[in-house]
Amino acid sequence: MIVVFEKGFALRHIGHLDLMRTIQRALRRTTLPIRYSNGFNPHIQLSFAAPLSVGVVGMREVMDVPMVEDVAPTTFTEQLNQVLPGCLRVRSARAVSDDYPTLMALVAGSAIRVQWDASDDGERIAAALPQFLGQESCVTLRKTKSGENMTNIRPFVTDATITKGDHGYTLCCTIANRKEGSLKPVVLMRALCEIAGIEQIPHIAYRDAILARNGEGRLIALEEYENA
Amino acid sequence: MIERVEQLLERVEKPARYTGSEMNTEVKPIGETDISFAFCFPDTYEVAMSHLGMKILYSIINALPYAVCERVCMPWIDMLEGMKKEDIPLFSLESRTPLHRFDIVGFTLQYEMSYTNILEMLSLGGVPVKASERGDSDPIVVAGGPCASNPEPLHAFIDAFMMGDGEEVIVEVIDTLNDCKKQHLPRQERLKKLAGIEGVYVPSLYLATYNEDGTLMSFTPTDPAAPATVRKRFVRDMDAAAYPETIPVPYTQIVHDRIMLEIMRGCTRGCRFCQAGMLYRPVRERSLDKLMELSQKLVDSTGYEEISLSSLSSGDYSCLSSLCEGLMERFSDKRVSISLPSLRIDSVVKDSLAQTQKVKKSSLTFAPEAGTQRLRDVINKGVTEEDLLEKLRDAFEGGWNSVKLYFMLGLPTETQADLEGIAKLAQAAVRAYYAVPKDKRAKGLRVTCSASVFVPKPFTPFQWCAQDPMDVVKQKQSDLRKMFGAARGATFHWHDPSISYLEACFAVGDRKLADVLYRAWELGCRLDGWNDQFRYDLWMQAFTDCKVDSAFYANRPRGLEELLPWDFIDIGVTKKYLRLEYERALRGQTTRDCRLGCNGCGIERTKGLCALCE
Repeated sequence: MIVVFEKGFALRHIGHLDLMRTIQRALRRTTLPIRYSNGFNPHIQLSFAAPLSVGVVGMREVMDVPMVEDVAPTTFTEQLNQVLPGCLRVRSARAVSDDYPTLMALVAGSAIRVQWDASDDGERIAAALPQFLGQESCVTLRKTKSGENMTNIRPFVTDATITKGDHGYTLCCTIANRKEGSLKPVVLMRALCEIAGIEQIPHIAYRDAILARNGEGRLIALEEYENA
Repeated sequence: MIERVEQLLERVEKPARYTGSEMNTEVKPIGETDISFAFCFPDTYEVAMSHLGMKILYSIINALPYAVCERVCMPWIDMLEGMKKEDIPLFSLESRTPLHRFDIVGFTLQYEMSYTNILEMLSLGGVPVKASERGDSDPIVVAGGPCASNPEPLHAFIDAFMMGDGEEVIVEVIDTLNDCKKQHLPRQERLKKLAGIEGVYVPSLYLATYNEDGTLMSFTPTDPAAPATVRKRFVRDMDAAAYPETIPVPYTQIVHDRIMLEIMRGCTRGCRFCQAGMLYRPVRERSLDKLMELSQKLVDSTGYEEISLSSLSSGDYSCLSSLCEGLMERFSDKRVSISLPSLRIDSVVKDSLAQTQKVKKSSLTFAPEAGTQRLRDVINKGVTEEDLLEKLRDAFEGGWNSVKLYFMLGLPTETQADLEGIAKLAQAAVRAYYAVPKDKRAKGLRVTCSASVFVPKPFTPFQWCAQDPMDVVKQKQSDLRKMFGAARGATFHWHDPSISYLEACFAVGDRKLADVLYRAWELGCRLDGWNDQFRYDLWMQAFTDCKVDSAFYANRPRGLEELLPWDFIDIGVTKKYLRLEYERALRGQTTRDCRLGCNGCGIERTKGLCALCE
């Protein structure tokens, strides 16, 4: 079952493994025919398309929950939503055949949105975006599992726009998955602040969608990917 | 607008400690009930959320239509400092309500070294730290739990203590304060009403006087509302007692991240150092049917993958095998594993070993407590070396490779031979493993021996005993380290003796320690239970500043005729019985398990309380 869910604002500090455990426990509260691994410590099988950075709100996260028998996607959604805390919501589910590719292999990038309050510094960040986009390279410190390294983060970012609304600024962009991994929104924000010459300001980041490439090479929402 | 709290959360180490909104924590809006209760656990979230008592009282209070209970924990240093800097008051996990806005603030007293956290939490929550400085609009601060059995070191900070089983008294306390609130009674009147509830101790209504040598001269009520003796409350029927059918499921891992099924309360063994064994008498079991019903509801409502059978001595539960089998069968389709955390070495039956193994294999814990039979007789640990080695052999043959052995250093009458006995027992455990044929045992033996320092506790036969001075403790630890250095296959862990020293001071302390506690907190002591935060130097400065001698409490044997600070509490077991047990201990004479016949500990004074002494 391919499941699209929201990881809400209140849960943005919950890490990947904690989220996985939370969903496994929620699944155990249902009567859904979930699949368990074999072995000494059996656990509920489930896999995420792409771990979400701590601190980021996930609007359309995607996971694969294998079932041992057929279940109607509406039944799945209803049952799971009944037992999930309010800040975790299944938006939709779709049954796929066993030969559907693993989600992780499909991920091409993420649609990211970052919001911050209106202020002089906020304005400076907004003004820094064209400069960032105009550069061919923007080398900055990036922390990864294997340690800290200097990375050119410019190639990760495409389709970036900033709009000003009543409450502040909104940056929308696509962040590509590259061979060196992905880019955390907070690193992009830090780079923009550096260009603007200011300290980091409070902001909230959202991942609006996880992206895949369809047969024509166009970016689409991962959950819309059809197996050829 | 991004709130200040949210901004702070971005900067702290484990923000999930403070965000709440866990499964099964949705409670009524705080403004829509008559009365609100803040359940405060004076330690961090991971410790707090592992505490069964909180889950029991949380569900009892929230089941009252007119009351709401929210949780409050001690923030870790980074959050604490951030909150002070940003002027954010300590708030509840559910609704982020500041502590001072609650009607009742309740602390659970699990451990003496959490006392400074109580002061810190009150202060950070905007509640005057000293009870005498609180006014009519401030919350009533109550406390319960095992350490309430000697409440005196906290008398200046807590308005009322609840003695005994909390589920018996909590609703009466809430109802009484709810009535008082409706009648707009002044604070002093509210406290007097509380003092009228059986099991409630209001320290401001009593006067303590002292002899020249520092011992207690008299302890008397100063108000007719206050009883001379405060009698502990008892749950009589465990099946009828409230037990949560749903519990919060934290997002982050906590210390005990599983369903805790309390199968019984109390213990019949009568180990003489053990406060819980005396405090929680008589032994009361939940029925098999009730436990099956509760576990089904808890698995359904939490989705937890593990149930741990909880009690002081789970091996003594009369239907243990049937319970294990029943649970295993009921939940095998959901892959729920069963664990037995508190095993006494003479009750590990092969059956239950085999049962737990079917689902999951964890390390086994045994607590011989002392190294020789002589000392085990003194402490009434009715366990022999042959017993232990037999159980170990069973465990190793059953495929276990990891065992923990718990000991205590500095027990009354301890000699060098007793210390050597600890190392010898560890070596015997290693030999028992190698005696099992290679193809029948699991690889990678681990024998971990851990020795804590004896702390005299109120309401035990050893309440009159002194703790070894710290240099003696250190010498014993170093001797043991050397003995273990020579032993193969076993490792030795020991505790920081300075923490045990302070634990002893506060366990047997009197009202004079309230000043020391306040001073230590002023000097910056908090989170003392965490080794990296504990500041022995500041504590010693606090004793000096207050002109209080710490050795008077920890290292002085108390006289048998002395009036003890906790003598005004009737805990169930009588002082006469404790003294009898102490005298038997000094003679090396054991006392039978009370399932074999009533020993007359004092519980029998209340008819129908103890099923064993009828």
